[in-house]
Amino acid sequence: MPLSLVYYAKEFFRREWAQKFFAAKTAPLETPPYFRNFPELTGKTCTHHLFCMMACPAPGAIDVIRTPEGWKPRIHLGHCIRCGLCVEACPNGVLSSGRVLESMFYDNTRLSFSFRIDVDRTKCMGCGNCAVACPVNKLIDAQMSHGGRASTDDLLLKVSEGKCQVLHVEKCTGCKTCEHHCPNEAIRVARLLEAVHAPEEDL
Amino acid sequence: MTLLQSLKNLVRSRSIHVAYVDVGSCNGCDIEVLACLAPRYDIEQYGIFVHNNPREADVLLVIGAYTPGWEEKLEGLWEKIPDPKAAIAIGNCPISGCLFARPHTLVDPPVAKHIPIAAQVPGCPPRPTEILSAILSVAPTVFRDYEVRK
Ligand code: SF4
Ligand code: SF4
Ligand code: SF4
Ligand code: SF4
Repeated sequence: MPLSLVYYAKEFFRREWAQKFFAAKTAPLETPPYFRNFPELTGKTCTHHLFCMMACPAPGAIDVIRTPEGWKPRIHLGHCIRCGLCVEACPNGVLSSGRVLESMFYDNTRLSFSFRIDVDRTKCMGCGNCAVACPVNKLIDAQMSHGGRASTDDLLLKVSEGKCQVLHVEKCTGCKTCEHHCPNEAIRVARLLEAVHAPEEDL
Repeated sequence: MTLLQSLKNLVRSRSIHVAYVDVGSCNGCDIEVLACLAPRYDIEQYGIFVHNNPREADVLLVIGAYTPGWEEKLEGLWEKIPDPKAAIAIGNCPISGCLFARPHTLVDPPVAKHIPIAAQVPGCPPRPTEILSAILSVAPTVFRDYEVRK
């Protein structure tokens, strides 16, 4: 009996045992390299195509600002949901996050954009704000007057017969300026994003 | 600083009682907070205990974008927590409303409008390690020398 007590004491007064007991820790928790964290700049040149902003599903998560070194996307923590779509959408590989760029390269995928414009004809009052605000319209007909009426049919949007008409949806760049300028929320732009396999020669 | 005070600081930094409240989330952040309780992270080794009782809590984790049902209730809950206390916003929702911050939304972010927020953990949802390191970095600074500062 006394001998077993001695053995107990010997066991419990070992230094390793005491250390383990008082400072037990699991292995340090590390973020794995494939974790898709907030996108970071790779240092490549941004060409201000704004595909990142178009792809981003989270309000206020990304904007592209002008710096002395040129355009730069900026990610806002607290808004960004780390989905990685901006990384995939950028044609120049300006952003990077986790293994998004690598897997895009191995799977040979690209994001393809298209847009759908819906005008609710019961809400539209034909004010033409959308057609005047649209930057694509501005390039086609810089003279377009207040009211959105114009003679040319090359325009993306115009007002005729008192309602907004979508003439060339394929010219839309998805900026949603029209949506923000419509007083009645009559015009809606839907962005359709599709991951497509890029053809071989595209590489 | 007195010996007693440094003893208190030491003990407080090793005994952090946590309560969490979901003020209208998608459940994503709740799952990540639950994941912190898993043996993988073993939060007791850092002295963190989750009672989910505001009367016992030191740290309140706020999850979600503040739906109308929480008006007045969240403030009441915050009042129930004894001093010293700290609230941490978990996820994008309490910071900005995340994807719910759309026109005509019913949610009323940020939560910092309603109760004082000591730290924010961005992400949708944040990793459990990010939540843990936020708690571990906030708690000692909030609780250190509490009696002296009071
Ligand atoms: S990762 Fe997703 S949410 Fe974040 S900025 Fe990029 S597209 Fe927006
Ligand atoms: S979303 Fe399309 S239609 Fe609307 S303003 Fe932009 S380019 Fe014009
Ligand atoms: S869609 Fe809106 S902005 Fe455009 S003409 Fe109609 S009411 Fe005016
Ligand atoms: S931050 Fe994202 S994951 Fe967390 S509750 Fe909000 S929407 Fe859900």
